[in-house]
Amino acid sequence: MNLILRFVRRELRSTEARILVLALALAVASVGAVAMFADRVKVAFANQANVLLGADAMISGDRPLPEAFTQQALAMGLKVTHSTRFGSMVSAPAKDGGAAKDSALSDVKAVSSPYPLRGEIEVHGANGERVPLKANVNAGEVFVDERLATRLGIKAGDTIEVGKLTPRVAQVFAEEPEIAGNFMSASPKVLMANADVAASELLGPGSRATYRLQVAGDRAQEFADTIKAKLGPGQRLETVRELRPEVRSTLEKSEQFLGLAASFAVFLAVVAIVLALRRYLKRELDTATLFRTLGAGQRQTLMHFVGQFFVLALIACALGVAIAFAAQAGLAFAVRGLFASTLPPAGWMPLVKAFATGLVLLLGFAIPPLVALSSTPPVRALRRDMPTASGGGALAVALGGAAVLSVVMMQSQDLKTGAIFVGGIVALVGAATLLAVALLWLIRRFVRSGKLAMLGGARSWAYGLANLDRRRLSTALQIACLGLGVMTLITVGFVRTDLFSAWQKSIPADAPNRFLINIQSEQVDALRKLLPTTQGTKPAAFYPMVRGRLIAVNDKTVSAKDYSSEQAKRLIDREFNLSASSTLPPGNKILSGEYFSATEQGVMSLEDGIAKTLNLNVGDRMTFDVAGDKVEVKVTSLRKVDWDSFKVNFFALVPEATLAPLPKSYITAVHLPAGDNKTLPTVVAAAPNVLVIDVSEIMTRVRSIVDQVASALEFVFAFTLAAGLLTLYTAVIATQDERRYDTALIRTLGGTRSQIRSALIAEFSALGGAAGLLGVLGALALTWVLATRVLKIEFSASPTVWIVGFAAATGLTLLAGWLGTRSVLTTPPIQVLREGA
Amino acid sequence: MTPVIPDTATIKVSSQPSSNAPPAIQADTLSRVVPLGERQLTILDNVSLTVAEGETLAIVGASGSGKTTLLGLLAGLDRPNHGSVAWHGETVSSLSEDALAKRRQGAIGFVFQSFQLLPALTALENVMLPLELAGANDAQTRAQDWLNRVGLGERVDHLPKQLSGGEQQRVAIARAFVASPSIVFADEPTGNLDTDTGAEVVELMFTLNREQGTTLVLVTHDLELASRCHRMVRLARGKVI
Ligand SMILES: Nc1ncnc2c1ncn2[C@@H]1O[C@H](COP(=O)(O)OP(=O)(O)O)[C@@H](O)[C@H]1O
Ligand SMILES: [Mg+2]
Repeated sequence: MNLILRFVRRELRSTEARILVLALALAVASVGAVAMFADRVKVAFANQANVLLGADAMISGDRPLPEAFTQQALAMGLKVTHSTRFGSMVSAPAKDGGAAKDSALSDVKAVSSPYPLRGEIEVHGANGERVPLKANVNAGEVFVDERLATRLGIKAGDTIEVGKLTPRVAQVFAEEPEIAGNFMSASPKVLMANADVAASELLGPGSRATYRLQVAGDRAQEFADTIKAKLGPGQRLETVRELRPEVRSTLEKSEQFLGLAASFAVFLAVVAIVLALRRYLKRELDTATLFRTLGAGQRQTLMHFVGQFFVLALIACALGVAIAFAAQAGLAFAVRGLFASTLPPAGWMPLVKAFATGLVLLLGFAIPPLVALSSTPPVRALRRDMPTASGGGALAVALGGAAVLSVVMMQSQDLKTGAIFVGGIVALVGAATLLAVALLWLIRRFVRSGKLAMLGGARSWAYGLANLDRRRLSTALQIACLGLGVMTLITVGFVRTDLFSAWQKSIPADAPNRFLINIQSEQVDALRKLLPTTQGTKPAAFYPMVRGRLIAVNDKTVSAKDYSSEQAKRLIDREFNLSASSTLPPGNKILSGEYFSATEQGVMSLEDGIAKTLNLNVGDRMTFDVAGDKVEVKVTSLRKVDWDSFKVNFFALVPEATLAPLPKSYITAVHLPAGDNKTLPTVVAAAPNVLVIDVSEIMTRVRSIVDQVASALEFVFAFTLAAGLLTLYTAVIATQDERRYDTALIRTLGGTRSQIRSALIAEFSALGGAAGLLGVLGALALTWVLATRVLKIEFSASPTVWIVGFAAATGLTLLAGWLGTRSVLTTPPIQVLREGA
Repeated sequence: MTPVIPDTATIKVSSQPSSNAPPAIQADTLSRVVPLGERQLTILDNVSLTVAEGETLAIVGASGSGKTTLLGLLAGLDRPNHGSVAWHGETVSSLSEDALAKRRQGAIGFVFQSFQLLPALTALENVMLPLELAGANDAQTRAQDWLNRVGLGERVDHLPKQLSGGEQQRVAIARAFVASPSIVFADEPTGNLDTDTGAEVVELMFTLNREQGTTLVLVTHDLELASRCHRMVRLARGKVI
């Protein structure tokens, strides 16, 4: 052990070891920095989305929540508020002794102060604009929303009846921030003080209510994670992600894009590590030989090298983590103006992962060659030219592949992405070898055919090209590494431009921002005339909707208790919205089964996410309770729904005939331009029962997240690009030592500088061209796979990126090669020769 | 050629008298064959020799005659296709690679034509290496001592590239002797040095050899150098002549 440490200290004097440590550190740094930054951005997005919850995190339960949760939140320095949500009849007192009183089933929320923790309650100002309300709900008061005010014909200052209480209406509000959970809830909203709940006598034993604890603060996520493990039956952690499919879809895609950037960093790390290793191991061969002649056994030699390597790797990873931390702080500083809020502090997990990534990659790639190294025959001390056991062959490939797979999985936690990446690398290395062989064959023929000579004065070109042929193995490896790097960079360019804008475009500017629900059949025609037409000409579409509670699956009664996932429990507890459509709605895609025909009966098409949550498949039968009637349907297809479009979408669709006899209402969606204050009041006047749901807030959130992802990606990709160029530089100068020696030798033999220059240019252009070609083809394949399989967006490929990529690859290889070898033309050859090959 | 009988008076022999003790090296009918395309090329053919304890033996012959091949076999760095090698009476050519390595540890020293110093290690560290590998804990003092003896006491912290060829070879000699080996093998130790420096290095090697009482097997094509050894074996096309 001592010897190992002493050796590490000695090793670090050599350039090869330093380059190895530096290359590794850089690889770890870029993986860590990108992952850490992406993590912070992701948390920032999740926080922004959580504004829709009115808090950073929310726990809810069917019974009052334990005091310990609140204590825990306070101990973590979080702001807390409690609320109790239940349905209740609310009525306006009978006017002047009149007998009939107006009443409405309302969504009552009893809140403690301050409320809300995130976002604001908004009221309409004098000019119809929305202004935030800075007031708390005091005991003896209620805030009601405009829907209820219209419905009951009340205004601020009036009193209403809520259970046994008659509180004063202090405010009539337009919207309150918690809009995530009650998208389709038909009821108007009432906010009352938590302190009044007992006196109202609304919550007797057996009444249904949801008790909630909302928290906000820096450590909200940490709180959520801790609490998750402590949740009892009937308690759940609410996140916007689970409540709103559009938001979930947006967050997931953002995370995928950012995750891709991190995976690209891993890709480049692999290239850097393989190249640095090769140089280093070549040198260590002499040490290993000497160890063997001095009587170190194979085991001792192996232990020594693995140990030494491990320590070097530890040093490199630690260094890399330090650089990563600084780099991500720099990134965060660079983008500080782009985010709605300051970025949350960085978590340590990405750094731990980056550290592990470096170690796993390095050991995965190094152990097979180290095993080979330690079995060097000692007779090599007498004959330096002895053939030595090379890289470990199949073992090296297998272990290296496994290392990359485990690292990508660690990064993306997704087997599919990991497999795509590893498959990509394997395919690329295979293609690189084939291409290199083909290319070298062509070069050999070309040089021998003498055609080159006819191009005039090209003997040195012939020499340069022949050089590539001579170093066949290094050439193939170099082309592969360069190609891998070029592929990554071109793909990065693609993801940033084409794929990303394809996603951005999936939220059209005129996407509906208001949903109108609870429309009665006889009101449909009248409303159609009042609403603006969609896309200029078509009148707004109205969709029938029936509410039903899922009571049985395959004749087996189900209840929330039968499901372990929170989301499934919630789905069972709440009502499903069933709709009808005789054809597959646009933007939907059948994943399995077949969409029912108009004549079928008792069949259903289910959204694939909900089917997964409830563990349902094509062929399963579901029984719903619709206002006391039992409706049984068989699932005949699973659909993918394009939530990004913000169109009206349903989880469950049945044929029109199935819906016909059931009590139903209609729903429609319209796009109202900002500043349109007239349409809605006319609609509400014509049909007071209709509820208008404003999703513009959600859309604004989603759009702002997408825009911020764009900015973040810009920075992350620029960083990846920089790391990539550095890696490519390493790739190009990997064979620099040999080249320096050869060139010096040629000069002693009378080669002129201009001859050598042409030879080098020929060599590097061929190398760069081959790598560029390989990179472009690889990127085309990889982008296609990413678009269609991972991100599920339309694949588009602009030729400019290819052409620029190819040209840049060739040009930069030439430049890097030139910079790396140039000095050989100015140093006296004898110096180079004395230093040895 | 008549073997020169070692002059025991000038050699510090180990406690046992040399007549009873097994020879330091005993090689029997060594052959080495290497594949050459389809055919087999015999590069060493049926060579037998004995080197007594404390004896110095020169292996001479033209370039390509098989000297290095023979040295590699005698030193256990390579394995014969036929025949056997024994050190101090123990057959080593049939030992496993690791068992052989263990036998070499501290018992066999090497001096190579191309010095084979580790470029990243200082002179001192290079000399310490055999001791460190054997797990000695006084490596530093002993290495320092040996560098003094080869006249490089002042250059301990220098890296190989900061030393001249002769100096590098002297470091290599210190490294060969530092673990007090019983046999030292040298393959053309002066091959990369000019005449004068070569002579100094040879002088040093013979002096140390005498003081330590080691057995020395020296490969050279320099007959004058060979004549300073007790005995000489001449090779031509893989055979002893
Ligand atoms: N591994 C090998 N493969 C093929 N030929 C070899 C090998 N080792 C040695 N030879 C050949 O055997 C002959 C003897 O080599 P060597 O022992 O190095 O000679 P010397 O040291 O006397 O110059 C040479 O012709 C050499 O080319
Ligand atoms: Mg030789």
